[in-house]
Amino acid sequence: MKLATLVRKNLTRRPMRTALTVLGVASAMLLFVLVESLSAGLERALSGSEAARTLVVYRQNRYCPQTSFLPEWYATRIAKLPGVKSVLPVKVYLNNCRASLDLVAFQGAPAAEMLSTRGIEVIDGDAQRFVREKDSALVGRAFAARKDVEVGESFRFGNIVVKVAGIFASDEPVEEGVILTHLEFLQRAGPVNKLGTVTQFEVKIDDASRAEALSAEIDELFRTAEQPTDTRAKILFLEGATRDLREILGFARILGFACVLVVLVLVANTVLMSVQERVREFGVFRTLGYRASHVAELVVVESLALSLFGGALGLGLAWLVVHFARVSIGSEGVPVQFSTSPKLAVLGFAVAAACGIVAGLVPALRSARAEIVVSLRSA
Amino acid sequence: MALIELLEVTKTYRKGEHVVTPLANVSLSVDAGEFFVLLGPSGSGKTTLLNLVAAIDRPDRGSIRVGGVELGTASSSKLSDWRAEHVGYVFQQANLVPVLTAYENVELPLFLFGLSAAERHKRVAIALEAVGLADRATHLPKQLSGGQEQRVAIARAIVADPEILVADEPTGNLDHESAESVLDLLSHLHRERKKTVVMVTHDPRAARYGTRRMVLDKGELKEEGTAR
Repeated sequence: MKLATLVRKNLTRRPMRTALTVLGVASAMLLFVLVESLSAGLERALSGSEAARTLVVYRQNRYCPQTSFLPEWYATRIAKLPGVKSVLPVKVYLNNCRASLDLVAFQGAPAAEMLSTRGIEVIDGDAQRFVREKDSALVGRAFAARKDVEVGESFRFGNIVVKVAGIFASDEPVEEGVILTHLEFLQRAGPVNKLGTVTQFEVKIDDASRAEALSAEIDELFRTAEQPTDTRAKILFLEGATRDLREILGFARILGFACVLVVLVLVANTVLMSVQERVREFGVFRTLGYRASHVAELVVVESLALSLFGGALGLGLAWLVVHFARVSIGSEGVPVQFSTSPKLAVLGFAVAAACGIVAGLVPALRSARAEIVVSLRSA
Repeated sequence: MALIELLEVTKTYRKGEHVVTPLANVSLSVDAGEFFVLLGPSGSGKTTLLNLVAAIDRPDRGSIRVGGVELGTASSSKLSDWRAEHVGYVFQQANLVPVLTAYENVELPLFLFGLSAAERHKRVAIALEAVGLADRATHLPKQLSGGQEQRVAIARAIVADPEILVADEPTGNLDHESAESVLDLLSHLHRERKKTVVMVTHDPRAARYGTRRMVLDKGELKEEGTAR
């Protein structure tokens, strides 16, 4: 018989209590891990390497992408500014402007330019078919996975129907949650026909350190125009677009830490009840020659095991939720995927382990410090 | 030769508001190989004295030397190690771990010696054989009778082959037949395995198994007589 066997047998003395504790820990860990996976997804969304060297030109005082209508010809004037490498006019169509758990975001742009400037790689399907067929689309792989979209089929959203020509991967994680179409197709397909207008311009620049200065130059160019602009580095744009999400996430994190506290209290309560029932038994162990440290170790390992079982179950459930519920949270057209990773699994286990150890400390010390003769007299 | 020597030992403890002194300046010597029986009424301090001999309690004053080792001043971990090696304790109740089988209960003390699984298995088998319960190895305590439980407890006490067996009213919770069986077993271990047995009881019939008997009454030790 090994320590593990003794721990297992002790935990199954009260199977219902153990099961309820493990379920409680699992529920708390599920919430904690989901919050952390959203946080990781948001961090990932803001981590694109190109975000610092890309400017986004929007309509000033826009409420959301749906209300930004910039003349398409602005692209020609922006392109003439020194330091600008390329300008991509983009039409955006969203199902929901604010924070949403089921964001569908179409982005329409000139196909050839989009393929050359966006840094995307078609991993399934045919990029040339997309260029040729004006009503076709390339679907980001995160969106394709979430909506079970396959190459060759049609995807309908509202009155927009596109043929899926390919599925793409991108170095920019936010790109993988959108559907790319031809510019004119989207200009005509939306609820309001706005041919000749776009939602935004994506401006690639040579030098990231000039992002602020160039943004000011672009805005100055259209300061007195009918549609004045608001230009920012893409990273700032993403941060702005996800502000609501980050505020929600900040609150959710408090809930996440509350979940950790719940785990701690739950495990500590169970372990405390368990050791209170075994005071005499620990006295017997000490009489047999077990040291106080052996008793403490046994209690801490039991606490750790409870917490880790619950943690593993919670992590498993979180993985199932992320991979099968296929939700994506998005704001202002920026899709954020819940992101699971080995790092998150390690974090989950580390938090569960830390909770288990901390929760077991007080019962362990109480058990270890008890006088043997007093323990043996206990009922 | 004296294996256990108590010299002017005093032990007090608090019971609510009162300070109780079950042992006051008690001196005692037990030779190696004796079956020493300590008689006395309830509350006379018998168990307190036994606990001091087994090193699970410390005296307030006086000296306790067992096998030449001064127990009163040793550290807690040193006492634990000493107990594991030198003392087997049989309680009034068997005090078996309820979720472990008879085999696993008997195996418990052996984990402290870093023995191989094969060696542990051999020793547990011998101990269970010695108490006549080899065929009950896989039974849980709740599947055993009171007498069988107490015999498993004796197997647990002897499995590490200690020199001293201490028994605190080992037949107190048993019927007559089971009590006889347990006492015969202790007597057998004393005779055949040369164990020094220190047994506390208030039952004169159980006391007859001892080679020397003393009575503890109001903190005072008196010689009662020698064995049958």
